[in-house]
Amino acid sequence: MKKTMFTFLLAFMAISIFAVNQIELIHKEAINSYNEKDYQTALEKFSLIENEGIVNSDLYYNIGNCYFRINEIGRAILYFKKALKVRSDHQAARRNLEYALTFTKDKQNSESESVIRSFWLKAFDSLSINLLAIITLALFMIIIVFISFMIIHYKNREKTIPLFMTTIFIFLFSVFLIISILKWQEFHSDDEGVLLSTSAIGFSGPGEDFTRVFTIHEGMIFKIERSEDNWSLIKLENGLGGWISKDTYVRIEL
Amino acid sequence: MKKIIFLLSLLLISQFLFAQQIEVESYVDRTKIGISDLVKYTIEISGKKIGNISTPRLPKIENFENLGSSTSSSSNYSIVNGKMTSKVTKSYTYTLRPLKIGNYIIPPITIKIKDKSFTTDPIHIKVSEGSTQPAPPTSSSFTQQPNSSLDLSDNLFLKADISKNNVFEEEPIIVEYKLYSRYDIANLAFAGDTNFEGFWKEDIYKPESISFDRETYNGIMYNVMLMRSVALFPTRSGKLNIPSVVLNVDIRTQSHSFFDFGTTKRYNIKNKPTSVKVKPIPQNNKPVSFSNAVGKFKLSSNISQTQLNVGDSFTYTITISGTGNLKQFDIPKLKEVNNLRFLDPEITTDINKNKISGKKTIKYLIIAQEKGNFTLPAVPFTYFDTSSGSYKTLQTKPYQLKIGEGDLTFVASSAAQSIVSLEGSDIGFIITDSELVSKNIYFDKFFYWFIWFIILLFIPASILYSNERTKLQGNIDYIRQKQANKILKKYMKEAIALADKNDPGFYAAAQLGLSSYLADKLKEPRGSSTEYIITKMSLKNIPNELIEKIKILFETCNQARFMPGGFSKERIKADFQHVKETINEITKCKF
Repeated sequence: MKKTMFTFLLAFMAISIFAVNQIELIHKEAINSYNEKDYQTALEKFSLIENEGIVNSDLYYNIGNCYFRINEIGRAILYFKKALKVRSDHQAARRNLEYALTFTKDKQNSESESVIRSFWLKAFDSLSINLLAIITLALFMIIIVFISFMIIHYKNREKTIPLFMTTIFIFLFSVFLIISILKWQEFHSDDEGVLLSTSAIGFSGPGEDFTRVFTIHEGMIFKIERSEDNWSLIKLENGLGGWISKDTYVRIEL
Repeated sequence: MKKIIFLLSLLLISQFLFAQQIEVESYVDRTKIGISDLVKYTIEISGKKIGNISTPRLPKIENFENLGSSTSSSSNYSIVNGKMTSKVTKSYTYTLRPLKIGNYIIPPITIKIKDKSFTTDPIHIKVSEGSTQPAPPTSSSFTQQPNSSLDLSDNLFLKADISKNNVFEEEPIIVEYKLYSRYDIANLAFAGDTNFEGFWKEDIYKPESISFDRETYNGIMYNVMLMRSVALFPTRSGKLNIPSVVLNVDIRTQSHSFFDFGTTKRYNIKNKPTSVKVKPIPQNNKPVSFSNAVGKFKLSSNISQTQLNVGDSFTYTITISGTGNLKQFDIPKLKEVNNLRFLDPEITTDINKNKISGKKTIKYLIIAQEKGNFTLPAVPFTYFDTSSGSYKTLQTKPYQLKIGEGDLTFVASSAAQSIVSLEGSDIGFIITDSELVSKNIYFDKFFYWFIWFIILLFIPASILYSNERTKLQGNIDYIRQKQANKILKKYMKEAIALADKNDPGFYAAAQLGLSSYLADKLKEPRGSSTEYIITKMSLKNIPNELIEKIKILFETCNQARFMPGGFSKERIKADFQHVKETINEITKCKF
């Protein structure tokens, strides 16, 4: 029995090591292709790795770059967005996304943001979800240690200082917990989409018989509010809402 | 700040003066009397400290007979800004009887108070035949019933005081409208707005509440209130009317009987219209630099520095102060100087409370643009001097400027500079050294939350620990029970050492250890006899064989202790084994 287990485990390990090696090999080939400006091949190889089920911001970023090179701005934006979804502090992806957005027909960068909001967004984006997880855990641990300490050592003594410290840490903890929850929600949300077809018409209802509301072009990022059959109600950043055909866009999800 | 200091000092000075001042006034109750009437002539001395004054001796007044005098004094305390001031007023009233019909003068009277002489004003009195109205009461409450219009106009009227009545265009006039009254006024209000046509008007004062001062006018004491004060700047020449102000005055009438509380009666009064003569400003010889300023002005200028480097800036200030139409005139024109850049001036006009004097400050910021010596030329300022009736031109000082080379090569305009510009843009390069591992999201991992749970367990653990400790600290028996094992171990260690040496002392140690252990476990005092321990043990849930064993063990120990020579080595070894087994069994028991 033990023997079979062992062989099975060995086989599994071998396969996985083999797979890892295989992936690394493909990755190297993809980079070489990219260097030789053969972007189509590079894209195919990167996509191969993606299809292995690897969720990695650098990989998405590279795929985004390939799409950008072959002039598929919509998909490039989609992949940069994906990279940022995995790691919101991915500076290169953010820069490239901003750059790629200047190539879309519709203007969609919100420059008129207030100082406070932009500061908040910067702080929010610079904290990756795992860093937040660690910070929250550490703060939680500190609070618990403080409380335990108070229970054990300060039975009948002055408790002001540890209480004060605990309060501060609880406050910090709550702040980070809220940020974490927001971040986690953002991470798991799939209500954003990117338009991939050259243009799409927004109607006032799910169907082409309804009134035309707007026309958007490739690379437009929007919120998806609701879907019905083949139509989705989307909301643009400037507040406009309308129904577009489902096959014109792709949801930004991992 | 300066303004505040100025006001404060003004307040202090006025208080100081007020404190020192002694005022002497004289008045009569009426100036028109009949031959059979009496005139009350009052001399009033008021001041903060007037001390004792003997009743002033009235010199002989021609055509009048002095019938006698009465004295009254009053003190008035007022608190202003938390500072109390007191004022004492002494009045000496003389009753005079006219001897002849005609116009007479009560001559000025000189009174000496504290080595100072005060002279009262002369008072004209017209004595006619018969008797005029009954003399109004001379008390401070001028409550007289106004019957005739003649009486009214004498006892209640508005007067406009004009500071000047022959002025030039744009030269300010101050007009004060004053209400004179000898009645008890219940209420008063302006009837309609006054339109000052042909003038540019600045309000100086408007009362907020009814308050009267006392003032003598034509020898009669009145309650006086300043109703309005305006500064007027004529905008055209010719004879200009200064409009009248109309007031509605409610007068409380005197009650005639005990049950009559008096009524109020409304009067509409108006001051006599007056006019001013406005001369035009002469048009011939009018200088080019005339700034439309009319009045009397002074000009001064100031420069922040005269030695500076290229790129530095300095301020050049021109101040025009004086009396006149400060708000209306144009600022003096500055001649442009090459290589100096003048920024638009900052103009501030400070007008004093009287609305006709003040100062105008013109502040230029000038930037030096080239090195060398330059002259900031004199700036002319021409105004029409109203006192002499001619144009006058004032000049500021010319300033010599020395402009040196700056520390850094200054670029005259920032347009020559440029930010490093982007010549092309592209997306960033791909990342080649990434570890191709799926990123774990800790929040989605079971292990992560498991750590949270483990940490959370600290709290119940610490509570348990803490409770345990308090239990230990509070219960001696509990401690003994817990520590019994330790004691047993300690004695057994000793016993083992002795047993190894085949020392019979082993029995004593074994017995002591065992009995102490059992006493602690049973919560009985140490040193209890072995029999007592055994009987106590039999009450607990302990197997009988074990009790029997312990009993035998104790007996063996006793035997060994009291038997000289002791046991053989083999016996000791066997007994040691026996003790060990028994202890093993005891420790497994629950007490």
